[in-house]
Amino acid sequence: MSYGASLITHLWPLVLFLVLVIGLISLMLAGPYFLGSRRNARATGEPYECGIVPVGSAQYHVPIPFYLFAIFFVIFDLEAVFLFAWAVAVRETGWAGFIEALVFIVILLVALLYLWRLGALDWRTFRQKRDRASVLLR
Amino acid sequence: MSSITANILNVVGILVFVVASAAMLTWVERRMLGIWQERYGPNRVGPFGILQVAADMIKLLMKEDWVPPFADRFVFVVAPTIAMFVVVAAYAVIPMAPGIGVIDLNIGLLFFLAMTSLSAYSVMFGAYASDNKYALLGGLRAAAQMLSYEVFLGLSLMGVVMLAGTFNLREIVLAQQEQWFVIPQFLAMLLFFIAGIAESHRTPFDLPEAEHELTAGFHTEYSGMKFGMFFIGEYVSVLLTASMMVVLFFGGWLGPVLPPLVWFLLKTSILVLLMILIRGALPRPRYDQLMAFGWKVMLPLAMINLVVTGVLVLV
Amino acid sequence: MQDTFFLVIFYVTAAVAVLSTLLMISRLNAVHGLLYLIVSSLSLAIIFYLLGAPFAAALEVIIYAGAIMILFVFVVMMLNMGHKGVEQERQWLKPGGWIGPGLLALVLFAVFVPALSGGLVSTGPRLVSAKAVGIALFGPYLLVVELASFLLLAGLIGAYHIARPPEITGDDSDSLTSARHHDDIAIEPLQGAG
Repeated sequence: MSYGASLITHLWPLVLFLVLVIGLISLMLAGPYFLGSRRNARATGEPYECGIVPVGSAQYHVPIPFYLFAIFFVIFDLEAVFLFAWAVAVRETGWAGFIEALVFIVILLVALLYLWRLGALDWRTFRQKRDRASVLLR
Repeated sequence: MSSITANILNVVGILVFVVASAAMLTWVERRMLGIWQERYGPNRVGPFGILQVAADMIKLLMKEDWVPPFADRFVFVVAPTIAMFVVVAAYAVIPMAPGIGVIDLNIGLLFFLAMTSLSAYSVMFGAYASDNKYALLGGLRAAAQMLSYEVFLGLSLMGVVMLAGTFNLREIVLAQQEQWFVIPQFLAMLLFFIAGIAESHRTPFDLPEAEHELTAGFHTEYSGMKFGMFFIGEYVSVLLTASMMVVLFFGGWLGPVLPPLVWFLLKTSILVLLMILIRGALPRPRYDQLMAFGWKVMLPLAMINLVVTGVLVLV
Repeated sequence: MQDTFFLVIFYVTAAVAVLSTLLMISRLNAVHGLLYLIVSSLSLAIIFYLLGAPFAAALEVIIYAGAIMILFVFVVMMLNMGHKGVEQERQWLKPGGWIGPGLLALVLFAVFVPALSGGLVSTGPRLVSAKAVGIALFGPYLLVVELASFLLLAGLIGAYHIARPPEITGDDSDSLTSARHHDDIAIEPLQGAG
């Protein structure tokens, strides 16, 4: 049997499972469409803001530094993937591989420490930082 | 031919099991929380309120299929679909007992990680499509939290992979015949447990849905069955985390006397109950504490655990 | 029978990949475009798996769909342009902008196709397991991994210094006082400690 054919014989239960899940989800989406009630009151089409009349636009900007952690995530995720490859082959690569992985991990731990020292991993608000500083001084 | 029938039975059975037990969990959780908080919980519909699930289901089906006129219609429907699809799909690789399990992938663990990494989309798309202030804030928070905890979710599991030498979950279970991995990998177990709770954003990591600051966070504008899908997704993810822990750390179906499937279900339910107890017992941390905990404590611990395990495996 | 299935699945996935990439480019709404980009990378992952590279398939999902595109969606959410972004995109997608480079790329492609069709020998799909990748990365390609770690280090530190939040002395509305002396000022009790 060719590689492709053996793949298909191996994989079809997964494909069937995923198709069934999609089918179930479509049923759950379609059900209320036919069964559900329909109402239209004065405030039906307004955004929910705890029962008061909505104020202002929802199109506000979020401070850009908040995206920093997403960058950190991408980079540490990439690093984790290298370690996935090491973890599965740790016996085969032996001590040479271990030392390499150790250097790899240490470099990234150092990077993490550096970011920590700079305060990049500090999500307190300005006010919280200021208060904490004064509390520590007392 | 018989293997095809067995496979179809497996596929259908596991799908029904996952969805039905997620639905049942909504009742179990309310009931257990009631007991632990010295009140009744749902006890009206059927014996011990067990038919509450059916009542809820009918209620959700009869609710209006409402999409806010100001929302991004297409993305609004896609978000709960992703929420439910990824967690149920991830369950496909869980080996429940010998011969029971949808598929035996060589990269089973990576498949699980891939699916969990996609689950962040559900909250982000839900928040974006809702076009609501609370939803956007909640969505950003949820994304930040899920991504931060996802980093060491994967890393914490690599200790187990080192000991077993494979990503195949069935082989990982079989590698635990002499000793469950919870003993050499206790730290990793704790890390994974915490990351799993954070990924399914349940208390104490439910800041994205913190009701007294963000109403309901990313699903503020969701109602009816679409809300129900987020809800079921959360419970499937509880079940998934518990099952994954059983498979990776607590020897899967292995155990004396009782049949394998019973052992698996027993261990899983104990862990699920533990997660419910945690919800009943712990308060919610402040947002910056949650993020700092993930990056400054859990991530270095996961890396150190990896190095120590590497030494232990090689010596 | 199974071989035909395999080919059908391969070509359908490949078509989905191409189609979703085209749709990604032509969407006016950034998030709709990103949705198609995610579908495109998922179908690429399936193609990797079909061609016998399961580890690469998992990485495609974990890294591209699960990390990089999440970063994109996150940034789109933060900028939160609403309808302004759609209008801008509509102007940028006018044919005048892309038809020149598109035609030139088509010429290149036409030259490239004969080069592809001759000389390449397909050996058919062959399984490369995750373990084999690990052995290669942490064996003969040892130095490359270390270089990658330096690259990641540079990326991490560079990203932080480019996007660094303003110092506490900055013009944030939250700090009520001149923050240069923020250590000396006695302020309200600790808040939000619960």
